[in-house]
Amino acid sequence: MTQPTTAAQKDAPTSAAKSVGEKPGSGPRWGGDVRTLSLLGVLAVLVAVGGITAPDEFLATSNLQLVLTQASVIGVVTVGMTFVITSGGIDLSVGAIVALASVWATTVATQEFGFAGILFTALIVGVGCGLVNGLLIAYGRMVPFIATLAMLASARGLALQITDGSTQIVSVESVLDLGARDSYILGVPPLVLIFAAVTLVGWLVLNRTTFGRRTVAVGGNAEAARLAGIDVRRQRLYLYLLSGLCCGIAAFMLIVLAGSGQNTNGNLYELDAIAAAIIGGTLLSGGRGTIIGSVLGVLVFTTITNIFALNNLETAVQQIAKGAIIVAAVLVQRRSPHGGT
Amino acid sequence: MAPRPPLLTMSGITKSFPGVRALDGVDLEVQAGEVHCLLGQNGAGKSTLIKVLAGAHQPDSGEITWRGAPVTLGSPVAAMRLGIATIYQELDLIEGLSVAENVFLGHEPTAAGFVVRASAARTATAELLKRLGHAEIDPTRLVGELSAAQQQIVSMARALSHEVRLIVMDEPSAALDPEEVDNLFRIVGDLTSDGVAVVYISHRLEEIRRIGDRVTVLKEGRSVAGGLPAESTPTHEVVALMTGRNVEYVFPERPAAGFAAERAPVLKVEGLSRRGEFAPVDLELRPGEIVGLAGLVGSGRSEILETIYGARKPDRGRVLVDGTPLRPGSVRAAVGAGIGLAPEERKAQALLMLESVSSNVSISTLSRFARAGWLDRRTERAATHEAVRELSLRPDNPDAAIRTLSGGNQQKAVLARWLLRGCKVLLLDEPTRGVDIGARAELYAVIRRLADEGLAVLLVSSEVPEVLGLADRVLVLREGSVVHTADARELDEHRVLDLVMEGSPTS
Amino acid sequence: MPETPASTSRRALLFGTAAVSAGALLTACTSNEPKEQAQAADNAAPVADDKPGKQVTIGFAGPQADHGWLNAINSNAKSRAKKYSDVTLEITEGSNDTAQQIGQVQTLINKKVDVLVILPADGKALTQVGLQAMRAGIPVVNLDRVFASPQAYRCWIGGDNYGMGLNAGHYIGEQLKGKKNAKVVELAGLDNLELTQQRTKGFDDALKNYPNIRKVARQAADFTVESGQAKMAQLLQAQSSFDALWNHDDDQGVGALRAIDQAGRDDFLMVGGAGAKSAMDAIKSGTSVLKATVLYPPTMAASAIDLARALGQAKGIGGLAEFEIPSSLTLYSAVVTKDNVDQYLPTGFI
Repeated sequence: MTQPTTAAQKDAPTSAAKSVGEKPGSGPRWGGDVRTLSLLGVLAVLVAVGGITAPDEFLATSNLQLVLTQASVIGVVTVGMTFVITSGGIDLSVGAIVALASVWATTVATQEFGFAGILFTALIVGVGCGLVNGLLIAYGRMVPFIATLAMLASARGLALQITDGSTQIVSVESVLDLGARDSYILGVPPLVLIFAAVTLVGWLVLNRTTFGRRTVAVGGNAEAARLAGIDVRRQRLYLYLLSGLCCGIAAFMLIVLAGSGQNTNGNLYELDAIAAAIIGGTLLSGGRGTIIGSVLGVLVFTTITNIFALNNLETAVQQIAKGAIIVAAVLVQRRSPHGGT
Repeated sequence: MAPRPPLLTMSGITKSFPGVRALDGVDLEVQAGEVHCLLGQNGAGKSTLIKVLAGAHQPDSGEITWRGAPVTLGSPVAAMRLGIATIYQELDLIEGLSVAENVFLGHEPTAAGFVVRASAARTATAELLKRLGHAEIDPTRLVGELSAAQQQIVSMARALSHEVRLIVMDEPSAALDPEEVDNLFRIVGDLTSDGVAVVYISHRLEEIRRIGDRVTVLKEGRSVAGGLPAESTPTHEVVALMTGRNVEYVFPERPAAGFAAERAPVLKVEGLSRRGEFAPVDLELRPGEIVGLAGLVGSGRSEILETIYGARKPDRGRVLVDGTPLRPGSVRAAVGAGIGLAPEERKAQALLMLESVSSNVSISTLSRFARAGWLDRRTERAATHEAVRELSLRPDNPDAAIRTLSGGNQQKAVLARWLLRGCKVLLLDEPTRGVDIGARAELYAVIRRLADEGLAVLLVSSEVPEVLGLADRVLVLREGSVVHTADARELDEHRVLDLVMEGSPTS
Repeated sequence: MPETPASTSRRALLFGTAAVSAGALLTACTSNEPKEQAQAADNAAPVADDKPGKQVTIGFAGPQADHGWLNAINSNAKSRAKKYSDVTLEITEGSNDTAQQIGQVQTLINKKVDVLVILPADGKALTQVGLQAMRAGIPVVNLDRVFASPQAYRCWIGGDNYGMGLNAGHYIGEQLKGKKNAKVVELAGLDNLELTQQRTKGFDDALKNYPNIRKVARQAADFTVESGQAKMAQLLQAQSSFDALWNHDDDQGVGALRAIDQAGRDDFLMVGGAGAKSAMDAIKSGTSVLKATVLYPPTMAASAIDLARALGQAKGIGGLAEFEIPSSLTLYSAVVTKDNVDQYLPTGFI
């Protein structure tokens, strides 16, 4: 079927594609350019809407602090998710891992070890779950969708078993203080600083390291990556570990924010994180990821929620708006020359 | 049969795809009740022609006459309505459905217009299978559970489930055992005695002799001969018609024969085999040498290359680089030992289509540009730029997106990847596929230059002149076995084609 | 994925209880146990008391205890049953899966337990199996989430969502009496649950009695701590000053209190709902903005065991003139404040 001649004709139209905005020197990894700009545009429009509809409340410093704080937990999860999606995978278990890590880190026994105990447990549980995901997917050859779905179910179940359904209140002062106004550093809440740090590290790793390059390669063309001598399986394992680690960090942040651990924590985080990554410009099929886009995606969603709450609008309307934005963003992606769907 | 009006006449058919003229004036005339064989090299236009006949492609110009009246085959359904059925080489069955469901897919017997009468379909399917000599296939079984040969029978049953006057069979014997081929021929005989015409595509001249009535030969999108008697036309004449090309290949100059004989082999393959793919292969590759593997699609060429590379795990045998055996089935071991592969499906197996040239070139060498995992993008870019320049890849810009490059330049990027890595052995699988004729010469020169610089090259190509023109030594493969080894200068195209096409599947 | 949020599981869907037909009930009773009925008439209303009587096996089927309140339901039922030497409790593994719960109830029917106590994961979906039990002659005590048909239970006992809102509204109204242009905000629970609508309706109806009070904002959380924190933080940002807050649920209240704490606000009073121990502790301390919580008591499970035992022994309950146990009992949503909190603390759930 594929004769040399027919293959040749597939190459021919590439010269036509050449014309589309391919400036030499513009690194391909900055990713979206167009998309990132359009997302910034959306954010600008939202800020304008917020400023007009609730001028006093929306533009206050305290509101900026609020929006960023609210974005930080899901934001950290989204950074991990961006890596996984870029590699062509998916992690449906992030919300459940956050729940499990947050309840495990807030049991009476754990709390006895104080700040370090809580932080360490949250991270270890996150990484542990990521390890199981990674082993199942990379070496057990399970489809990511299935493996992480299984993890979703079991991590939620385990979280329920640990708590017996009750809310575990945190009584470690040093942890609680981290969420208090007094601990803001130059007006920046510590949780936001953690979010910023994770974002920065995430960006550097994805764009400036061999790990990031291999992630993109595995997602763009796993077979080509394998034939180029990349250890695809080990790469996959590391990616799910990374996602688990982000969940552990997020769980700790959630403990600080809510002052408690509950088995319902992280409800539907997987969908929020996937949605933010996708509207940010990360390809669901893999091979292209943008941390900046993902973070902008999270900020867009959080800002919408904020504007709606400030204007006292119902949850239902918020959800409709969220859905509309996802559809619009994906349509824009299709149109864009990078789309290549 | 001459006085009757032909069942099908196609005349002056042309079909262009962007950049390529796949059919450039094809004439084909088929009589009812005959087996009409279609011959041609890979890329001669056979597939495009049968797709036009099946209504899957629309010709740009030309006329089709069916039973004396001009027709337009606007869609596969239209062709089917007229009674033209096609059995593609790559079977288009749905594995998750039963045999009967596949056979009647799209024209299920229904009650009240929409209720599928499953029992009627089953009975009719059993009837068809019996007629095809395969009553043992249960119509309720899932197609995915059947052997390749049985699936072929199901495909044929599907064709016969229509009111059919012409059946196109694209290499139907490729996946069959000798007994199954005999059964296939019996079926073809039955069909033609019922007045059904068969358009039969095969690479095996022997088969064509056995069941063919007439032969039409295609070459580079044109029919160069029509209606030759299948039994009496001499092989060399057919081969000459298939190969007599008008494109001049420009090959770089070769070093004197046996120039590398004194050198120690860098790659040794000993008794490497994979069941169902290729019989034990031995070969040696010396630095500076280009060795070609010639054979048809399905002769095991690509499989041998991929097994050497570790992408497939051998059943037996081993691969040694500089005398050290490699861990079998490990790409990383092969790459680590200095083997590089430019695979057959460039886009699917080698390139990161969303990435830049630089990323594509450096992907196998990343750790060289990294300290503790952090990439030094400046050295990376400088190195890839140099590699790109050395192979005169255009545009000479490592930041260009790989997908904007032509096929030839994409192939150079793949070569640059291994050049950058500094490998000792380069495995090339169809290096000029999708590369237009003009750019090929340049690619040949690059390959020869790499060899001159000390690389050992193993080349696979279905284009015989390419193998003969570029390689120093040639191994001819037929159905998984090396049937001939010779210096490239001692062979010519006809001889190679004779070697790869003659003989029955068992020989 | 939509794990029936803890929330759904815990709160009752309360409708149609008023429409219970006494006639239908009587028929059910008499047809089930004609002999005992006759006896009861002779003996002039025997009343269930703590003294051991006829042995009764009670089957108990509830949803998965994935939430503090449901956990309290289970433990209330268990400890109450333990109290009686004449009661054997057959308790099933809790499940939120309707099909599974139906299976569990059928198993209990086949075991021929004397009485069934069912807290359905979904009242409507479990109606059929309730009918099956009744037809098999096993009286059913329907706990909290009501079946679609009164024929499916002998007696219903549950909380009062409308009453919760109503009492919360009245409490706030009294506290803000005399304050001009008082503002209240509402942090509701999951908006797609009927019980949330009922709590809001009760609250709004109560506020109509106090023309000086205006509800200025309402946001819906989803009964989780996390959502309580997030939504409350937004509400606090949106409303720079208000006088009172009605929070539907003490669990999401943990998050709400955290947000209030983080914002450094203490210029209003807060009323919670359900009756969690952490909320009662805060009320008792007196230093929190949380001044009261409106009960949705999990002790109803203990009462359900009492009712089941009485049914099994063919007795009535004390303090009523009737021989028979009522067909429906709606519990009062008491307001727990600093003054009476000690009395309720033992019932607070964690």
